[in-house]
Amino acid sequence: MSFLKRTYDSIFGAGEAAVTVPPLDGALLPNDALDQAELVATATAADNLVRDGERCFFSSGAELFRLDLMDGATPAGRFDAPISALAADGKGPLAIGLSGKGLVIRGGQHEGRRLSGLSEADAACITAIAFDGPDKLFLAVGSSRNRPEDWARDLMERNHLGSVWQVDLATGAARRIADKLGWPAGLLVRRGAGLVVSEAWRHRLIALDDKGRHTVLLDNLPAYPSRLQAGEGGLWLSLFAPRRQLIEFVLREPAFRRKMLKEIDPAHWMAPALSSGKSFLEPLQGGSVKQLGVLKPWAPSRSYGLLVRLNEAFLPEASFHSRADGARHGITSSLAIGGRVLVTSKGGGAVLSIAADDNRREVA
Amino acid sequence: MSVSESFAKWRYRLVPDHLLGEVLSKNWIDNTIPFLFLIIVVVLFQSLIPGFLSIAGFADLARQLGEVAFVAIGLAIVMLAGGIDLSVGSVFALANFAALAFINYLGWPLYLAIPAVAAIGAFVGLINGLLVGYLRLRAFLTTLATLIIVRAVVDLLILAYARKVAMTMSDSDAWLFLGEGDLFGVPFNFVLLVAVAIIAHLVLSRSRYGWHILAVGGSRRSAYNAGIAVRRTICITYVISGMFAAIGGLFYAARLGSVGPDTGIGLEVTVLTAAVLGGVSLGGGRGSIFKALLGTAIVLLVTNSLIRLNMPSGATPLVLGLLLLLAVAVDIRWLKNRHKLLSRVYVSPTYFELPQRPATEAGSASPYAVNDAFHGVEAIGLGELDGPEDMIFDSKDNLYTGGRQGDIVRFLAPDYRTSEVFVHLGGFPLGLAFDAKDNLHACVAGMGVYMVTPEREIVRLSDETNRSLFSIIDDSRIRMADDLDIAPDGRVFFSEATVRYGVSDWAVDALEGRGNGRIIAYDPRTKSTRTVLSGRIFPNGICMVGDGESLLFAETWACRISRFWFAGPKKGKVETVVADLPGYPDNLNRASDGRFWVALAGMRSPVFDMSLTVPSFRRRMAQRVAMDEWLYPNLNTGCVVKVSLDGTVTESLWDLGGASHPQITSVREHKGYLYLGGINNNRIGRHKLADADPSWTSQHAYWGQP
Repeated sequence: MSFLKRTYDSIFGAGEAAVTVPPLDGALLPNDALDQAELVATATAADNLVRDGERCFFSSGAELFRLDLMDGATPAGRFDAPISALAADGKGPLAIGLSGKGLVIRGGQHEGRRLSGLSEADAACITAIAFDGPDKLFLAVGSSRNRPEDWARDLMERNHLGSVWQVDLATGAARRIADKLGWPAGLLVRRGAGLVVSEAWRHRLIALDDKGRHTVLLDNLPAYPSRLQAGEGGLWLSLFAPRRQLIEFVLREPAFRRKMLKEIDPAHWMAPALSSGKSFLEPLQGGSVKQLGVLKPWAPSRSYGLLVRLNEAFLPEASFHSRADGARHGITSSLAIGGRVLVTSKGGGAVLSIAADDNRREVA
Repeated sequence: MSVSESFAKWRYRLVPDHLLGEVLSKNWIDNTIPFLFLIIVVVLFQSLIPGFLSIAGFADLARQLGEVAFVAIGLAIVMLAGGIDLSVGSVFALANFAALAFINYLGWPLYLAIPAVAAIGAFVGLINGLLVGYLRLRAFLTTLATLIIVRAVVDLLILAYARKVAMTMSDSDAWLFLGEGDLFGVPFNFVLLVAVAIIAHLVLSRSRYGWHILAVGGSRRSAYNAGIAVRRTICITYVISGMFAAIGGLFYAARLGSVGPDTGIGLEVTVLTAAVLGGVSLGGGRGSIFKALLGTAIVLLVTNSLIRLNMPSGATPLVLGLLLLLAVAVDIRWLKNRHKLLSRVYVSPTYFELPQRPATEAGSASPYAVNDAFHGVEAIGLGELDGPEDMIFDSKDNLYTGGRQGDIVRFLAPDYRTSEVFVHLGGFPLGLAFDAKDNLHACVAGMGVYMVTPEREIVRLSDETNRSLFSIIDDSRIRMADDLDIAPDGRVFFSEATVRYGVSDWAVDALEGRGNGRIIAYDPRTKSTRTVLSGRIFPNGICMVGDGESLLFAETWACRISRFWFAGPKKGKVETVVADLPGYPDNLNRASDGRFWVALAGMRSPVFDMSLTVPSFRRRMAQRVAMDEWLYPNLNTGCVVKVSLDGTVTESLWDLGGASHPQITSVREHKGYLYLGGINNNRIGRHKLADADPSWTSQHAYWGQP
């Protein structure tokens, strides 16, 4: 029966073969809030924001920056590999994921702790870290096959090789609590209520319990979700790239995809991206052809900027966008401080600041 | 090349996929389902009944057809106008009785009896027509009522006169001939049926009244708004139907000579099934006489065969009822889904492989190395223009360009700050050219080639070419005239980019990768238009080489420029000049140094190039993905390149950010400046050339005037 259903679907483009993408509607109505947002700092690939007590840090490539709302960014360290994830427990130590290398603890009593139980392939692709008390942390591993910067390849290969690990820093022992995930890219520890994971390739948020069982908290997201951040008034979800009908379609065309992966430079794939429109060698979709010299904001672009505020029930309440004609694309992390929310646009190379209680829902 | 790729290449070369969409876009495609059904019926019963396909069987069928099909044609005409006539069976019976009464009992001559019978039918039809047409009663119930009333009248007549009518027999040879005679071995009534069917078809498809019927059936309100006398039109269809039913009854009477009370009972269901099965739509407006005939043939074949198969009584109506249900279902579903089906299959990509893409990296030795030469280019008509695809100068240096509003706009020399609407053409002007007398020639999308004299008189030169021999869609009409140039002998050569798409969706042609375009020549001496070169991939810019024998043309999606000889010893030959441009060439024009400027409307991108070798991917994409989301050629970055006649590319000029000229569809040199146009832009660009002859104009280069 399932064979018949698959054949029918593939001929008529129904069911699994459907290429529909959820519309940006309701709380997700587009606006240009991210393009209007205040620029706090620029950095080529501003990525993961963390707060350690009174200090803020963010990563950009292999560099670590300290962020001050008044003075902007100042260098705070440089590593020998791109930083793929960052976390702070609030009392000094920083946990740093290095692409291709693994986890590094800087400061505190666990400095220099080596992990056991985590394979090299998994350690090479740490996409998010979350502390659970001073001696425990969770790791999200995007894929056991690709490195963090090769996320588009992982999507195009249709891998579901991600996993989530619990690490005991006292011993360095890592225990896998869930696997076969589609690029987990964000973690959030909820006191007494388990762990929330954003599973990018399945466009959803799931909650994991101790035994690795999951429940879906929010699905059918119109973009690929990334890091999560709890703040005043709700949870902040960064979404790093948009889903597009054409990309969904390409994902369902194995022969074309294999040929593309084999023959074409990754920068020019028909795949989601953190930023786009920089080269004429990039693929273009019909609606993105400029009319009267103007790129329409609704144009189907490969990159997009989207930050969503969720309520306690994980329902979207407000959203902040940078559309096809904007530049603040590839939102990878956020940090709520007082009444403000800091946001990193990895594609736009910027750290932005927006008002947390901004309830705007559409273009003014 | 892999095995699967070579397979794809040959499969798409050999199978003309695009024909499916073109066939589906034809009106006659509605006949296929009933026709297939007819074939199935014939094959089925041929295998069940020995001797099914005999001459005698056909003669018998033809004679029956000569009775029933008249009724079906009448009903079809009513249905085409959006009505229905259920009373035909009763009228048939009434006519049968009347004919026998007039001829057998009263002994009237045929020339009197036949019109009288037809008049009786027409009278009943007129009652229907008055009630339905003028009083606007519901057709179904009204004709159901007349069915009952006329049937009652027939029953009363039979009760009173049956014996008298049946007692006497006419000895008229003509009457006998009407019922049993043959013309060249074909039953007489069938010959008459064919004649009437042809006339009825001509009336419906060629005459004013026929068009009115179809218009009323298609949309009663629109027909009314268009000034058609809706009520009269409807009324007359019922009169025709009544008359045709009576003629059918007349032949029946001539053949059988019986006044049995069951004459014509259930006939309305038979002919209704026949009409709907043939494809005459119940909703009105769609159908034809041929469809009604086809349906009648099917129904008669089925009913006769069922009788010959000795089916138990009741089987025939059962099958008829099922057929009617089937036909109604198919009618509704087909009408509803035909356009969906068409839109799904019309875009039909084929295999096409582009040569290796040349390097464009800044700093490379390639002539295409990107630069920012057009940075700070001056804008003319910024914000006033909408789509200056091409621009040109007259001998007084005034600048002319087109626009989506359907105007040709003139910017006055020397500063091009003031503009005026030169003429309003009503269509979107694309390519422009001047002849020796300053007559402006323009390709107008959707309209053809037009000429505007300096006195602003508009002359249509050509909107039709010869239809190609084996084309399914009518390709004689020029839909997408794109660019033109004028040969020294006065002939106008112009490109029609694609015969499958129009000005609003021309870019979709890029997905097909097939040679859908052609080059056409208009000869002003004979005022004739001929296609001189066809099967080209989006032929776009045209430029005379200057030898009076050949021209250069750009094939946009094929990223190449070719030379075509239209005269001289090499007449008819095509040679590729540049085979591997890094982008999509649009218009091309002469440069002051004897070379040619080529505008590239967009640049090649690796993914799109690759998709050209995977036609099935593009086909599924066109079916499943919304149009705005389709993978497109990159039309957001353009450039200008200079090419010499031997194919050497000497330089390229870019607007890299795409701030002012993302897409360049036209480039023209004039007095040391380069002018840039874009079909999706809102300005004309003006760029000072460093090393160009400051007095050179193309008007002078072409026609030798100052």
